[in-house]
Amino acid sequence: MPLLNVENLCTAFHTRNGVVRAVQDVSFQLERGETLGIVGESGSGKSVTCYSIMGLVPQPPGRIEHGRAMFDQVDLLSCPPSRLNHIRGRRISMIFQDAMTSLNPFLRIGSQLIEPLMIHEKISRAAAMERALAMLDEAGISEGKQRLKMFPHEFSGGMRQRVMIAMALITKPDILIADEPTTALDVTVQAQILELIAKMQKELGMAVILISHDLGIVSGFCDRVMVMYAGRVMETARTDDLFYDTKHPYTRGLRKSIPALQMKGAELHTIPGQPPDPHHLPPGCPFAPRCEHAVEYCAREEIGLREVAPGHGTACLRVQKENLAV
Amino acid sequence: MTNPPLIPNIEPADSTGGVSFWQDAWHRLWKNKLAFFGLVVITLLAVMSVTAALFPKITGYSYEQQNLALGPMPPSHAHWLGTDPLGRDLLARLLYGGGISLLVGLCATGVSLIIGVIYGAVAGFAGGKTDMVMMRVVDILYALPFAIFVILLMVFFGQNILLLFVAIGAVEWLTMARIVRSQVMSVKRQEFVEAAHALGLGETRIVFRHIIPNLLGPIIVFATLTVPEVILLESFLSFLGLGVQPPHSSWGVLIKEGAEVMEEYPWLLIYPGAIMALTLFSLNFLGDGLRDALDVRGSKD
Repeated sequence: MPLLNVENLCTAFHTRNGVVRAVQDVSFQLERGETLGIVGESGSGKSVTCYSIMGLVPQPPGRIEHGRAMFDQVDLLSCPPSRLNHIRGRRISMIFQDAMTSLNPFLRIGSQLIEPLMIHEKISRAAAMERALAMLDEAGISEGKQRLKMFPHEFSGGMRQRVMIAMALITKPDILIADEPTTALDVTVQAQILELIAKMQKELGMAVILISHDLGIVSGFCDRVMVMYAGRVMETARTDDLFYDTKHPYTRGLRKSIPALQMKGAELHTIPGQPPDPHHLPPGCPFAPRCEHAVEYCAREEIGLREVAPGHGTACLRVQKENLAV
Repeated sequence: MTNPPLIPNIEPADSTGGVSFWQDAWHRLWKNKLAFFGLVVITLLAVMSVTAALFPKITGYSYEQQNLALGPMPPSHAHWLGTDPLGRDLLARLLYGGGISLLVGLCATGVSLIIGVIYGAVAGFAGGKTDMVMMRVVDILYALPFAIFVILLMVFFGQNILLLFVAIGAVEWLTMARIVRSQVMSVKRQEFVEAAHALGLGETRIVFRHIIPNLLGPIIVFATLTVPEVILLESFLSFLGLGVQPPHSSWGVLIKEGAEVMEEYPWLLIYPGAIMALTLFSLNFLGDGLRDALDVRGSKD
């Protein structure tokens, strides 16, 4: 039985300008200790998927219209807030994109670090501080004793993200959701933070969901990858299969767009066109208008994720029907 | 003769660790001379009023001790600020009245602070329909003619100083509620609040531990600006004869009494008027200074 089983998740935002279907029919499983990467452009629904699971979608305007997310026999999408608060921060933790703003500027680092412990484990402040100190050390922050008394604005971006990681992992959760944890950081710090997450994952045996728009980061870090576009899952496979046996034109476009160390003067690859307007999604495959392989029925028929090889699903109609090799 | 050591003794970095936001703000306030002057004046007046209340005979006279034989006297050695037509010492009455005025100011501001912050925070955090209903109630109360509302309260509950505090506070919280609500709405969308949700903290804890501390700047500033407003309001009510009743005094009462006889005995108006003006200026300077000191955007970091 998977640790987390998300089925047919649909999340929509009811705005003044109409309904935005941010996440449509997303299903995935997460096994214990596994690393799942969710890749997609801005607005592809990768963050909203995780926010929905964590109960962080502001409602209204957001609404979870459909679906289940089973974790330890509890449906995270429909359980009452008190139950959810018992799981969030204790068994499922989350770190955010912008470490500069995700710490409370008015509280000392120590007080923030021990907060999840004080709430979920109800231990004494002194004992919690002990644990916080050990955790800071684990997270690669030296001189923890002094640091615990400092305020967030005295830390650099990378240090704050380390504090966030320490805070998320202090309760030894089963799942860590990392929402673009390195986007706001320097490239050199990026690698350190990812290494830290990998190290902690090994030590605690937890599962990680890594959200990123960078296929390069995901390829080096994840066991399995899920590619999203316009709120839908386009392709999901083990990392190697996704890269070497790509089964969706969009994934192929993304893969080719990774700016590797290219020859000087060589043109960078781009996918032509723009992502669709979320208020008016086209019928059929949302990628069809930009797809070089699109045929007439792509813009007409309803798409769905289907397994075309063991553990490898794609939403491309042509690949499903004609065994198109992309 | 010993040479000074070549390497100066470098003090180890502050071992308490971390310059807090408040230390920073205090430093900025210290550099703002006008605001600091305000703080000193307010503290001085408060200390003097408290001393006068604790030791009523410190000026040599009690605030209600009449000397009809003496009558109104200009400032002299015996009576530094003169006496009123009943022969009461003006300095004693001024200090006693200052205590009452400042007390009204602080208590009413406190009442308005408590109601306003909680009401505004709940409305802002809940959002949606709850917020709409709560803020329409504020709008309706806003529309009530303010003076008449207080006068009605005073008539209804009788002229009790304690009730005066409550009545003024009950009217003054509206603006505070609006300010707090708007601030809560912007703070609650910030990532650290989202992170607090993600850590499984309860909503009450999030509001009181994570959101309200982030509003302390605007709240303190507005509170400082409310105090003079309330003092003025108390004076206005006392002037109308609805506030503090003789023989008790407040600045409003003294100004009213002084205004009645200003042509004959001008000192009875000048001194209370000047001290009140000084207080109001000081509080406003302090409020402005606090606003600058607590405004993180204005600081150079």
